[in-house]
Amino acid sequence: MLALSVAAALAVFVVYTAVAGAGTPQLSPSQLAGHRGDVELVGAVVGPVRGDAHTHPMRFLLRDVQGHERARVAVSYTGSVPDLFRVGRHVVVEGTLRGGVFVAKPGSLVTKCPSKYAPAKPPTT
Amino acid sequence: MAWALVLAAVLAVLAVVFVARPFLREPTPASDRLDEPGEAERRRLGLVEERDRALAALKELEFDHRTGKVSDEDYRRQVGALRRRAAEALRALEPRVDAAPSRHPVDRERVP
Amino acid sequence: MAALGRAALLIALGLVAYALVAGSYAAWKRRRRLALSAQNALLAAFPATVVAAVVLWVALGRRDLTFQYVAQHTSHSLPLGYALAAFWGGQEGSLLLWLLILTGYAALAVWLNRRSRELVAWVVPVLGLVATFFAFMLCFVSSPFVTAPAPSDGAGMVPSLQNPYMLAHPPMLYLGYVGLTIPYAFAMGALLSRRTDERWIVATRRWTLAAWTFLGVGQLLGAHWAYVEIGWGGYYAWDPVENAALMPWLAATAFLHSVMIQEKRGMLKVWNMVLVALAFCLSLFGTFLTRSGVVNSVHSFSQSSIGGWFLGFIVVMTLFSVALVYLRLPLLRARTRLESLVSREATFLYNNLLLVALCLTILWGVVYPILSEALRGETRSVSKPYYDFFLHTFGLPLLLLMGIGPLVAWRRASLRALGRTFLVPFAVAVAVGVALLAAGFGDSLPGLLTYTFAAFAAASIVLEFQRGTAARRSIAGESRLRAFTMLVSRNRRRYGGYIVHAAVVLLAIGIAGSSAYQTIRERALARGQSMEVAGYTLTYTGLATRQLANAQAVRATVDVSRGGSHVATLHPGKNSYPVEQQVSNEVSIYHDPRTVGDVFTIADQIDPNGTLYLKVLVKPLVNLIWIAGLVFVAGSLVAMWPDALEQRRLAERYEPEAALA
Repeated sequence: MLALSVAAALAVFVVYTAVAGAGTPQLSPSQLAGHRGDVELVGAVVGPVRGDAHTHPMRFLLRDVQGHERARVAVSYTGSVPDLFRVGRHVVVEGTLRGGVFVAKPGSLVTKCPSKYAPAKPPTT
Repeated sequence: MAWALVLAAVLAVLAVVFVARPFLREPTPASDRLDEPGEAERRRLGLVEERDRALAALKELEFDHRTGKVSDEDYRRQVGALRRRAAEALRALEPRVDAAPSRHPVDRERVP
Repeated sequence: MAALGRAALLIALGLVAYALVAGSYAAWKRRRRLALSAQNALLAAFPATVVAAVVLWVALGRRDLTFQYVAQHTSHSLPLGYALAAFWGGQEGSLLLWLLILTGYAALAVWLNRRSRELVAWVVPVLGLVATFFAFMLCFVSSPFVTAPAPSDGAGMVPSLQNPYMLAHPPMLYLGYVGLTIPYAFAMGALLSRRTDERWIVATRRWTLAAWTFLGVGQLLGAHWAYVEIGWGGYYAWDPVENAALMPWLAATAFLHSVMIQEKRGMLKVWNMVLVALAFCLSLFGTFLTRSGVVNSVHSFSQSSIGGWFLGFIVVMTLFSVALVYLRLPLLRARTRLESLVSREATFLYNNLLLVALCLTILWGVVYPILSEALRGETRSVSKPYYDFFLHTFGLPLLLLMGIGPLVAWRRASLRALGRTFLVPFAVAVAVGVALLAAGFGDSLPGLLTYTFAAFAAASIVLEFQRGTAARRSIAGESRLRAFTMLVSRNRRRYGGYIVHAAVVLLAIGIAGSSAYQTIRERALARGQSMEVAGYTLTYTGLATRQLANAQAVRATVDVSRGGSHVATLHPGKNSYPVEQQVSNEVSIYHDPRTVGDVFTIADQIDPNGTLYLKVLVKPLVNLIWIAGLVFVAGSLVAMWPDALEQRRLAERYEPEAALA
C-alpha cells in the first residue's frame, strides 16, 4: 500500500512537470540571443534609465553580472519598480525577446540585495 | 588585554578539571563498568510497554464506544481481544516484580 | 577582547570534540567514568560558548569596530537593540547562535536524562559530533572574532532589518532548527545502544513539540514581517530561504504524528527513524541555504566560504543516519501490521505521506535550479505556479484528513459507525460549499475547496470536544465546564492537538481568503482623486515629509471609506536612508474588523509633481493567519503541559528502583 501511494505521488509529480514544464530558463544577457519564449533574464543594470514604468515603459540595458561580456540587452518594463533598483544593481526580470528588445512581464522585476542578508522586494503575488 | 588571557586560562583550567572530575573523585573504583540493561531488563521494558499499550488501547476503545465512533458490534468484537492482551501482559510481568532485575550493580554516586 | 572570544571557542571545540571521541569510546567499551567525563565535557561546552557569545554581544553593544563583524553589521548611529540583534545579522554570528543554542539544549537534555545512563552514553557523542562541526567552523572557517584596524564607521544595518522582527524572528527559527537535533541525537543514540524500547521517544516528546512550535512561530513571524515591512502585498514568496524553514517543519509535523502510531501500536519504527533524521538533515540544509548563498534567492546573492563545508557535513550526517538505520533494521521490525485501510492508523499514514510528499516537492523546487545549472549549464528557476500546484494537490487532502482522522476509530472502523460520525461534519461542509457557490465564490476552485474542507475539519473538531465532554458528563456527572476542563486536562496531547488543528484550519481559511479572493488595483492619482476597490473608496488627499532619526520619510495621506462612511486614514510612502543609500517602501494597512481582512496600500511611485501611483490590495480574512498563530501556540502549550500522573507512570516504567526509592 505504501508503494502504491508513493507511486501515485510520483505520478502526479511527473505529469505536472511534463505538462507545465520544468521551470523557466534563467539566462544572462550574453546567452539570450535567439532564445524564444518566456525566460528570466539576470543581469546588472546599465544606464541611462529612461521612461516611467507606470506611464510609458521604462527602458534600460542589462549586462552580464560576471565576466566582461560586451552583450547588452535592451529591456522594456512596466509595473512596480523595487526600491532598490538603480544603475549597477543586479536584477532578475521575466519576459520574452521580441524584435531585439526584451519585453518584460509587467511587475516581474526583482532586485537582489548584494552580500547582506536582507530580503529584497519579490514580485507581486 | 591581559585580563582576557587570564580569564581564558581560568576557563581552560576549569574545563579540564570538570572533565577530569569522574576520575579525580574515584581514582580506584570498585567497578568501572557502564550499566547496561541486561536481557531480563530489556524483556521487562518490552512487557511494560506492551502492558501500557494494551491498557491505553482498552481505555480508548471504551471512550470511542461511548462517543459513538465505535459501533456496539465493533466494540463487542474488539474488547474481548484487547482485554485478553492486557491480562496477558499483566500476568507476564508479575513474576518479574519479585525477581531482582539483572542489571549490573548500580553505583549510587551523585551525578556531578 | 577578541582573543578571549577566540579562546573560548577553542575551548568549546576541545570540549565537544572530546565529548565526541571519548564519549564514543566510553559507550562502546562500557567505561562508566569516561562516559561521565564525556558528558561533563558536553555540559561544560555551554558556559564556554556563553563566554564567546557575551564577548560578541559586548563588542556589538560598544560598537567596537576593531571587530570586523561589528564593523560589517553595525554603525554608530544604529540603535542599541538592533546593534545587539546584529549578533545574528551575519553568517559568523548566526553560526555562533547555532552553537550557543545547541550546547544549551544539549546540556539541558543530557542533564534531564542523566539517569538513563546507557542511552545518554550514546547521545553524548552524537551531540558532540554536531557541535564539533559548528565549533570547528567558528574557530577556523568563519570566525566572528576576526579583527582589523577600525574604520571610521560601520557599514550599518540594512533598513529593512531595523524593526522588532529582527529581534524575534531569527532566534525563534534557530530555537526550532537546533531543537530538532535533540530528538535526532536520542534516536541515533537509541539505535547505537541497540535499545528497542520507546524511551527515546518519551524523553524527546516535548523537545520535538517545542522545537516544532518555535519553528512554526518563527515562520509566521517571518511571514508577518514580509507582509508589513517588505510590503509587496504578500506574506510568502516561496523563496528558497522561506522554504528552508518550511521543509523541516513539514517533516517534523509528519514525525509528531507517526510517533503516536509507534507509541500506540508499535508500528512504523523504521519510518520514524527516517523521519527524525530527515527533519534534522533538513534543518541543517535550511541553515546552509540561508547562510551560504548557494541558491540565487532574493535573500542573498554572495557566494560564501561555508557552503562547501556545510554540504559536506550534511552528506556525512545523512550517510551516517542511513547506515545506522540500515544496520539496525532487524531490531526495528514491527510485530503488528496495518489491519485496515479505513482506520485511524491508516489516516495517520496518509497524513504522513502527504506531508512528506509536499516536503519533497518543495525540496525539489529549491534544489532544481542548482542541479540544472550544474548538469546542463543552464539555470532554470522554479516559481509560484509550481509550488501552488503542489500546495493544492497535497495540502487540500491534508486539510480534509484533519477532519476525517478524529472521526475514525483505531484498528478498523466499520462503515456504519463511520457514516454516523461523518454525518454532521459532512452536512456542514456541503451546506457551506453550496452557500459559498451561490454567493459567487466558485471562481476559485482551490479557494472554494479550502473553505469547504475547512468547514468539515472545523465541524469535526468541535464535535470531538462536544462528544468528549458529553461522555465525561455521562460518567462523572460533572457540570459542562468542569467536564470540558477535565477532558482536556486528562488528555492534554490529544486535545492540545485538536486545538493546533483548529489553528491550521484558521490558517487555511486565512490563506485562501487573502490569496484566492483578493482584489488588486493600481492607479495613478492626482491630489484629490479617488479609486474604488472591492467596495472601498480611497482618496488621495496630500503628501507630507518628515525627518526621522536616520531617514527622510515621505507619506501620502489616503482616506478610506466604505459605503459612504470614513473608516480609516492611511499613510503609505517611502523612507530614504542616507547612510545605507537605500529607499524602503513603507506600506499602510487598514485592518477591517468586519471582514477580518486588510486594505493594503502601497505607494508604488511618488512623482515630483505630486502624482501618486497607488497600489491597493484588499485581502479578506488575512488576519486569521496571525490569529491562527496564537491558537497554534496555545494548543502546543496544552499538549506540552506536564502531567504529573503521566510523569509518575513513566518514571515507574523506566526507573523502577529510582521510583520506589
